[in-house]
Amino acid sequence: MRIFEPHAHMISRVTDDYERMALAGIRAVLEPAFWLGQNRTSVGSFADYFDMLIGWERFRAQQFGVHHFCTMALNPREANDDRVNDAVMEILPRYLEKDSVLGVGEIGLDDQTRKEEKYFAGQLELALRHDLPVLVHTPHRDKKKGFARCIAILQDMAFPMQRVLLDHGNEETIKITKDLGCWSGFSIYPHTKMDENRMVAICKEYGVERMIVNSAADWGVSDPLMVPKTALKLEQAGFSPERIATLVWDNPIAFFAQGGRLVAAELERPAGIDRRQTFAGNSVLRGQDPER
Amino acid sequence: MAETLPSLPASVPAAARAWLEQSCQAVRGADGGQLPVLFPSLPRRIGREPCAPAWHGGGGILVHLGGLRACDLAAVHLLAAARPGAGTLLDLFLRGDLEERTMVLRSRAFAPVDATTLRLLDEAQRSNMLPVFEAATCDSNLLARAHAWPEFGVEGFNRMLLKVAFLGLPLRRVIEAETHANAELSRMLQDLASEREAAGRAVWPDTYRLIARAPVAGTLARLAGGLEHGADELRMAAAEGALLAGRPELVPFARERLAREPRAEIRAVLERLSH
Repeated sequence: MRIFEPHAHMISRVTDDYERMALAGIRAVLEPAFWLGQNRTSVGSFADYFDMLIGWERFRAQQFGVHHFCTMALNPREANDDRVNDAVMEILPRYLEKDSVLGVGEIGLDDQTRKEEKYFAGQLELALRHDLPVLVHTPHRDKKKGFARCIAILQDMAFPMQRVLLDHGNEETIKITKDLGCWSGFSIYPHTKMDENRMVAICKEYGVERMIVNSAADWGVSDPLMVPKTALKLEQAGFSPERIATLVWDNPIAFFAQGGRLVAAELERPAGIDRRQTFAGNSVLRGQDPER
Repeated sequence: MAETLPSLPASVPAAARAWLEQSCQAVRGADGGQLPVLFPSLPRRIGREPCAPAWHGGGGILVHLGGLRACDLAAVHLLAAARPGAGTLLDLFLRGDLEERTMVLRSRAFAPVDATTLRLLDEAQRSNMLPVFEAATCDSNLLARAHAWPEFGVEGFNRMLLKVAFLGLPLRRVIEAETHANAELSRMLQDLASEREAAGRAVWPDTYRLIARAPVAGTLARLAGGLEHGADELRMAAAEGALLAGRPELVPFARERLAREPRAEIRAVLERLSH
């Protein structure tokens, strides 16, 4: 089974993770720009981080056959920080034009402050300007209220809901999002947020249309194999392979392809960096083998 | 620049060509401006198809187009129209994605070496992203031309060649690099080979072809030993190296091997060496 992992912070993972992910069927991964576990104090740190997402991390993933994409944003936590917030907003437009940037995210709310709301709205405008969908981080504390507030801001701006992925949802929030026309994201964690069995129950009740599951793997206790593990649980629960494929492959591709940069056909083969070009008509392969 | 700009491959659709022409107009003579926005979309707009094998150049510039892609050539056109200053060009590279970085470096192969190019080569030398390093060193004589610059010189050249060996890129893709073989590079390559052998790892075959041009202590023994190597690729490289070295001390080893050499193409080299 092919899997598109739509939310994993791979810069904090080791190469063993990439290898296991590829073997488990993860053909592509999307890495949303987010907080790094501690606050940055200058815009330069953001620029270097963004460069890593479109450069080095992409190369690292490709070595294991995994296509790497990202979304770019000023995350809600650091939207509160006047040392960086405006300066990051200034550099974002350029990054939003990069080929592997498929959306604006993670934007949204965390502590639900006024500043977070201001930069959330500002980045929704950027998404409209750059014709990109948005990946919305929702608060881990006071979640229902945070969801409602995110939705209110989106509706105030008349942002097209089919271009919105409201992430980190659960049994409570799906009741709010199911009829909005947006996409509902669920982060499957080993101990917190949401687990595989609860996800199976949600899919049984609400189906798989406009639903997206991810591992949100990062620097904390998390598991980048949570999407394939959830797929296995769904199969055990009697879901057909077609419905599972809709959830773990078709849906994330359909959502992120809305920006016009993700071409599903290009994911038909694993990523590769070993071009091993022929030279001067000579068909002997003399390129570098990355494993040597 | 080379005397003429390289033509885009025939496979590039008319709509993509029109887009490129419009983009060249939009950036013409404007340092910066729309360039950072247009540049990253080149692979998507123009395509990544490999170009047909052909040589391009003039005025000492030599590029093998077969190592480039359609978007690389489009980048040459776009940058030729924009004529960005050093700051803009560096910024395109430093704030560029993997493909932008390779396109910037590929474009330098079509232009005379200048201080900005040397700075970009320095950035590429410190990159472990294979396509970036490959774009700086392979399929043109850029590195060989940079050798003439005192700021780059033998030291810079040797450092990059050693990394070419370290990454296992073929020497023949680093156009004209062999013309700058030198004793210090031979020592560096032989040390790398010894280290690899001690670890039971593969030695860069082209080691033999380079050290033969500038022999140092240990070179002849390594060439003679290479003639008996079990790997065909290494044995061929050693035979070619021995031929290049032109040292009579190697002839008995070549004759001895010739009688037992199973590969016709290696036998052909050994026969030339034996006479």
